[in-house]
Amino acid sequence: MGVTRRQLLWAGTGIGAAGILAACSGGSGNSKDTAASGGTPGKPRAGGTLRVGALGHASAITRDPHGTQANESDYLILALVFDTLTVPGAKSNTVPRLAASWESSADLKTWKFKIAKGAVFHDGTPVTAEDVVWSLKRLRNTPSGAARLPGIQAKNIRAQGADTVVVVSDYANAEFPLMTRFASFVMKKDTKDSAIAKAPGTGPFKLDWFRGGNARLVRNDKWYGGTVHLDAIEVTMFETPQAMANALLAGQIDLASNAGALAARTAESRKDVQVLRRPNDMAMPIVMRTAKGSPFADERVREAMRLVVDREAMVKQVLSGYGTVANDILGTGDPEYAKAIPQRKRDLAKAKKLLKDANFDLSKTYELVTTEDISGLADSATLFANQAREAGIKIKVVKQESGAFWEKTWKSGDFYTSYWGTNDSVIFFASKTMVSEAGQNEAGWADAGFDAAYRKAISSADPKKRTAALKDLQQIEHDRSGYLLWGMADGIDLAAAKVQNLPKLAGYGRVQLEGVWLR
Amino acid sequence: MSQTAKTGPVAAPGTGAATDPRRAAHIAVRIAGTAGRRILMLIVLLAMVFAAVEILPGDAAGASAERGESAADLAARRHLLGLDRPLWARFAHWMTALPTGDLGTSARGQKVTELLADPLPNTLVLAMTAFAITVVLSLLLGCWAAARPGRPTDRIISHTSTAAFAVPEFVVSAALLLVLSLWTGWLPAVTVTGGDGKPASWTMLIMPVLALVIPQAGWNTRVVRGALADQASTPHVEAAHLDGLPLHHVLLRHQLPGAVPAIATGMATSTGLLFGGAVVVETLFNYPGIGSVLAGAVAARDTPLIAGVVICAGAVVSLVLLAADLIRYAVLGARA
Repeated sequence: MGVTRRQLLWAGTGIGAAGILAACSGGSGNSKDTAASGGTPGKPRAGGTLRVGALGHASAITRDPHGTQANESDYLILALVFDTLTVPGAKSNTVPRLAASWESSADLKTWKFKIAKGAVFHDGTPVTAEDVVWSLKRLRNTPSGAARLPGIQAKNIRAQGADTVVVVSDYANAEFPLMTRFASFVMKKDTKDSAIAKAPGTGPFKLDWFRGGNARLVRNDKWYGGTVHLDAIEVTMFETPQAMANALLAGQIDLASNAGALAARTAESRKDVQVLRRPNDMAMPIVMRTAKGSPFADERVREAMRLVVDREAMVKQVLSGYGTVANDILGTGDPEYAKAIPQRKRDLAKAKKLLKDANFDLSKTYELVTTEDISGLADSATLFANQAREAGIKIKVVKQESGAFWEKTWKSGDFYTSYWGTNDSVIFFASKTMVSEAGQNEAGWADAGFDAAYRKAISSADPKKRTAALKDLQQIEHDRSGYLLWGMADGIDLAAAKVQNLPKLAGYGRVQLEGVWLR
Repeated sequence: MSQTAKTGPVAAPGTGAATDPRRAAHIAVRIAGTAGRRILMLIVLLAMVFAAVEILPGDAAGASAERGESAADLAARRHLLGLDRPLWARFAHWMTALPTGDLGTSARGQKVTELLADPLPNTLVLAMTAFAITVVLSLLLGCWAAARPGRPTDRIISHTSTAAFAVPEFVVSAALLLVLSLWTGWLPAVTVTGGDGKPASWTMLIMPVLALVIPQAGWNTRVVRGALADQASTPHVEAAHLDGLPLHHVLLRHQLPGAVPAIATGMATSTGLLFGGAVVVETLFNYPGIGSVLAGAVAARDTPLIAGVVICAGAVVSLVLLAADLIRYAVLGARA
């Protein structure tokens, strides 16, 4: 269930952004910007088979690149066989893949993507604009298509010549290329549903076999994106992170993808195992309802809550130290993240004074609703409740079953924990969860100052003005939003010592294995 | 084990139970009746599965929904999955398709029969291997202990088997993992599956089988020992002893045959426990069986898939129980 929900974090990237970034064109190359790490640098060695473990349930296996992939194992396999138009990057959060470059019209409604030169399917046929158009339309026509390609109607996707795809948005959307990072997998035009399991992709690896969630992939020598060093990748699906970590420790796999803090702690003492931390992987904010009638409607109360939390203790205990302290601003992995805003620290005296000024009723017990969707979430609520008691605030943690939580508490509760897996864009959160008209406004926040800063940020043609507006936006968010973001969990992969150049981006950046080589 | 007591004192077995045609017909009717009861039990069990999933909070539509999906989308998905129909209608629909071998469609739109095509044989291999070893091991240990009643061997076997049964599968599994794999490196820690859908090496079966065998062998050793003890006090066994026949001769020829019905019933009930244990063991060792399918299916409130696993496992368990009944009838005749 947790995987299912988390998966959505990137799938449902529905932004109603209207803005300006007049033309954002990518470089010609491929994933040079998708920086990677791991071990000593050196000249990559060709050859070898990488055995990867990824989490998944046999009951949720999905082969369709445009389906709802609840299994990380399925998504990993798809992402190696098929290419998306763009992929997450390090210096810029959106970098080229099958689309070598893109540009928009001045009104930010029409976007043109140019297909990478030399891109061919695994069966040798060249990728045409028609293939991309067909694939995007297919994606758009899936049940969650409206969320995956927000503001785009299927009829407004068309080919221009052999190598250009034109997408017209219903509204100005500066962030549209960002939306194509995770699900815009391209298949050959008119691929039948029954043929999808064996459909040729364009990615760095070709499917050798797939069975029961496990697969073997072999190198695509004709890949347009650069040199692939590995001969093959074998993916094994694991039901639990524990079994996956055991497999790594026993030498049965070379890489345990997204193994988590618990596995990392067990492996930390082993010299032959690399523990790779990908920062800014998961946000677990506490949401305080800001609308009238909520005990947190007064911004002084929210400020007090943010002063009550002991962030270092949270990171240490909830995340076993595998994370970083955050400053109540979401989108911590954004290159434009406001590092200059001073870090908020614990200040019980100030918190008590603010609560007194706001006439906050300390005799009452407040319910903090949480779920066990992801590891550590319920613990974070419990620990926060204990810390709040030191300021005289009585909080009772209520654990809710996942389904009930999403249906009844999410977006309407006064006080609950949430979590997000896409954390490399400040504007993503602003547009999706904080601007007053946002569809997933978790805290029911409506702040005129914030809305104004947001609109300025997305409609500034001048990058300097945009940066300034983004700074204002983040300051307001830091000061008075409905979020308490105490820290960010690292994504954690475990790998054998011989594995080099592993992905280091957060979230689904972990599937970028095309640069990996074995020492 | 109430069966142990029920069999009671028994005359020398094999007294031509099925030689008389009238008795044979009578037994056939009894067996048909038993089979009918087992089928009825399965249907009741499936109805309970449908009801139980209904009682669990949340449903398949919500479990497979995407964050931010609107209430209308959710309602549409509910309709698509047939969740807006009453429980009895869904159950009846699933049950009427069952005789044609159709186990329905999972919440993610896959055929349940396809989802179980690889895992079911894998689980059968695991459970049946464990069952065979359990039978042999508990018969050996039980007879060994019974041959030396009250002596140290008997006491050691009795206490060890009790302890083995008291330890849950996941504790056994964790201990096996630590000792046989992570510390010594003798055995693979988990099962990795090849392109044929089967474990890449047979050595990957050893630990999962052991994890299932240890508690079950403990239990069945107690059953065998108990059933043999009951037989020891019967007149014909005492007579055999008084005739001065060798101990092992009395044990194997006189005590054991009479104990077979109780032992068979005890072993047969183990199959259910083996399947239950397989759910835990498969997850711990990443064994690609129906146990891991079931775990995911319950989390996703995927009723057709859960029911599919239950009917497959239930059918196997019922067959084994029926075989145990046959053995009872064959040995005890109409008095069973």
